[in-house]
Amino acid sequence: MKTILQANNVNKIFGAKGNQYTALQSISLSINEGEFVGIMGPSGAGKSTLLNIFSTIDTPTSGKITIDGENIVAMNEEKLSDFRRNKLGFIFQDYNLLDTLTVKENIVLPLALSKVPAAEIEKRVQEIADTFGIRQILDKYPYHISGGQKQRAAASRAIVTHPSLILADEPTGALDSKSAASLLESLSKLNQANQSTILMVTHDAYAASYCQRVIFIKDGQLFQELPQEGLTRKEFFGRILEVLASLGGGHHDAV
Amino acid sequence: MTLFKIAGKNIRKNFANYFLYFASMIFSIVIYFTFVSLKYDSTIQSASDGSQKISSAFSGAAVVLIVFVAVFIWYSNSFFTRKRKKEVGLYSLLGVRKKKIGRMLFYENFLMGVMALIIGIALGSVLSRFFVMLLMKVMGYDAVPNFTISLAAMANTFIVFMMITLITSVQGYRLIYRFKLIELFQADQEHEKEPKASILLALLSVLLIGFGYWLALQNLLTSKAWAALGFMLTPLVILVSVILGTYLLFNTLTVTLLKLSRRNKKSYWKGLNLIGISQLLYRMKGNARTLTIIAVLSATTLTAVGTSYSFYYNNQTNAALANPNSYMFIGGSEIADSKADQAIRQAPGHKVLYHESISLLEVDADTSGLKQNTGLNEQSFTVISSQDFNRLAKLQGRNDAVSLEGSEAAVLEPMHMEGISPDYVGSAITLKGKGMKETLRFKALKQYSVLNTGTVYSTIVVSDEMFAALQPKAKTMAVQAYSISHQDKAKELTKQLEGILPETAGFTSFYSDYARGMESTGLLVFMGGFLGLVFLAATGSIIYFKQLTEASSDKARYLILHKIGVKKREIRNTVAKQMMFIFGLPLAFGMMHCAVALAALSKLLMTSLAVPVVTCMGAYICIYLIYYFLTVNSYYKIVTNVK
Repeated sequence: MKTILQANNVNKIFGAKGNQYTALQSISLSINEGEFVGIMGPSGAGKSTLLNIFSTIDTPTSGKITIDGENIVAMNEEKLSDFRRNKLGFIFQDYNLLDTLTVKENIVLPLALSKVPAAEIEKRVQEIADTFGIRQILDKYPYHISGGQKQRAAASRAIVTHPSLILADEPTGALDSKSAASLLESLSKLNQANQSTILMVTHDAYAASYCQRVIFIKDGQLFQELPQEGLTRKEFFGRILEVLASLGGGHHDAV
Repeated sequence: MTLFKIAGKNIRKNFANYFLYFASMIFSIVIYFTFVSLKYDSTIQSASDGSQKISSAFSGAAVVLIVFVAVFIWYSNSFFTRKRKKEVGLYSLLGVRKKKIGRMLFYENFLMGVMALIIGIALGSVLSRFFVMLLMKVMGYDAVPNFTISLAAMANTFIVFMMITLITSVQGYRLIYRFKLIELFQADQEHEKEPKASILLALLSVLLIGFGYWLALQNLLTSKAWAALGFMLTPLVILVSVILGTYLLFNTLTVTLLKLSRRNKKSYWKGLNLIGISQLLYRMKGNARTLTIIAVLSATTLTAVGTSYSFYYNNQTNAALANPNSYMFIGGSEIADSKADQAIRQAPGHKVLYHESISLLEVDADTSGLKQNTGLNEQSFTVISSQDFNRLAKLQGRNDAVSLEGSEAAVLEPMHMEGISPDYVGSAITLKGKGMKETLRFKALKQYSVLNTGTVYSTIVVSDEMFAALQPKAKTMAVQAYSISHQDKAKELTKQLEGILPETAGFTSFYSDYARGMESTGLLVFMGGFLGLVFLAATGSIIYFKQLTEASSDKARYLILHKIGVKKREIRNTVAKQMMFIFGLPLAFGMMHCAVALAALSKLLMTSLAVPVVTCMGAYICIYLIYYFLTVNSYYKIVTNVK
């Protein structure tokens, strides 16, 4: 199986000399094509820092990261932009939809940036709209639709370019439980049907239970890895909670 | 720590933020102070005889400046305070009393006002010296400025700006009272709605502008529309319809066009066009008022500067048209004539290019036979023979000659106005007076004269035999015409000649017309240029401030774009395109309005405006471009500053 993301010995240190803070310490992990991986950990564990580094909007202090065969640490600003555009898809907690564009235009945006022909764009948008069930809100503006709809629109935008890796940062963080479940179902379905690779940061055990593997980090270091391995989602959810309890400071909310 | 100290510290530590506001205050003060000190300047007052005229012109312009400067400072102040809402909210959240926050803001503003005033006056003192010299130069004086800083100007500036500072300071004090705490924190988070487009209003905007243009370009004398509306009302109608049309155009036509452009998916869905167009769509409505004001202001400025500059530019031509000879006078006493001749020949620095003595006749004529006559049926004319005319025309470098026979005549009218002046060619006049009843038929009209218009009546050229026939019967006179080199510098000689020749000589000189013209048009062009520069700088700054405000609220959007992989270069491009739209629109319409106004004016003023106006527009565009690049740069820096 092809490795999509390979991180070796990643370190991130903030601050100048004398007042340093180690956010990440020798993190090594790898994600294979078609995997749905969760990253969990208490607040301040370094989840977001790690995701930002994978997203190429932050750089590690040291270490090597390869995504889809390309070393992202060595790339310059221009190349990184191209890389983000072509290889990565983002889903953020606060949606990050552009409020001056309709839902459809938001989804079109990454394709337009890559200069995909208009006819092809139209086709892909229709496909993705069906996957996420947002066909009836395509011509609405973000401020007219609910949070769940916004997040599904944002997910559509992330996926429409067929990225190698989808990075989701607390995608259910601002959603009510029903919308959250529906979004996670959609992501899970997408992962199975299209062999999409998804890396999701969350502090919600329920969201994490949709993953095939959950990586726990604490104080900037890898703490434990928990594979689903044939467990039902309910059993997996229980196991996740157990690890969280052992982590200390874990959140038991949103059960 | 006292409030005053905190205020001082705030200014020192936040200087980058304060800088723009501070700079625009200093700019206003420098401009105003310079202007007022010109008004009080003794060199200018003593150098010009018409000091009353100058001083009242300056006073009028000063009022315009005060209003403008006040609005400008008000605008930059509100831009500045908007930036600080959050900071103020934080103080309040930490439990500082509203009164204390208000007082702190008051002190801050006041402190800055006073500092700006001091710096402004200091800078202004230096600059006004330079401007005095410039003004003297354009007015054609060569007095050396013995410049002193005018206390009256200082007092004037001080009072005006203290008042403005007090008002803005009170406004700052009230900031904390005007808003709820929550509003202070949500300064830039209002949701924007997509603007609606109305095709009807968009069409109306085009119609209104078209109507205004049509009306402006009508021939004043023959237009039915002007006659129906009246001469007082029509310009107002033009103004209102064009301004309203411009506003609607910015407000709805642009929105409509932008919406239409979204229909074309091929170009809309290409790169950042998606972002650029939708951004503009949301921005246009909010900007329409500002852009209209700027377009109208640009048009006014350009028209005023263009016209005044063209007066200045054409002064030499006009003086030469009225005075084809450097000097001309009617010979009378021989002593005076020879004294004048001697003075001209001996004048240092001037060479006599030609001296002609010409016999002229003075006749009265019945002009009722003229088409479109002036209402008077009798008029005096000066008559010159075709031989003399041809000789003078040749000396004056005109490649033109008349050949007349019998009762044929040509009329010389340098100030001929089509449609207003009598229609000579083809009609005839009958001479009156004892023993004269000759009829003269006009064969040609020359739009120049060979005689100085101030010395003679309207001039008719007649055939040599007619001249010979009339000579015994009419009043004759011998006119002396001189042309000298460097006639525009003949101040001394002209003064000398004015002393020598008697009143009855009808002495005219190129120099005195030229100098008078330089003085008044020079003042005009200086004022026009000065105010134009101020308006230009202020309108540029207003767009600049406004765009930077928007940049701060657009920051989140560009951050999203950055995250999903838009290159910085692409962001710069789309910002540049959007700004091009925002800057280009008012400039283009300002210039268009100005072009129409000038086209209408040039008919009235009979001067060619092309060169001066193109020069002005070129300068305007250049300065505007500087603002454009400055804005693009700052905007780009704000939206890509990822933190």
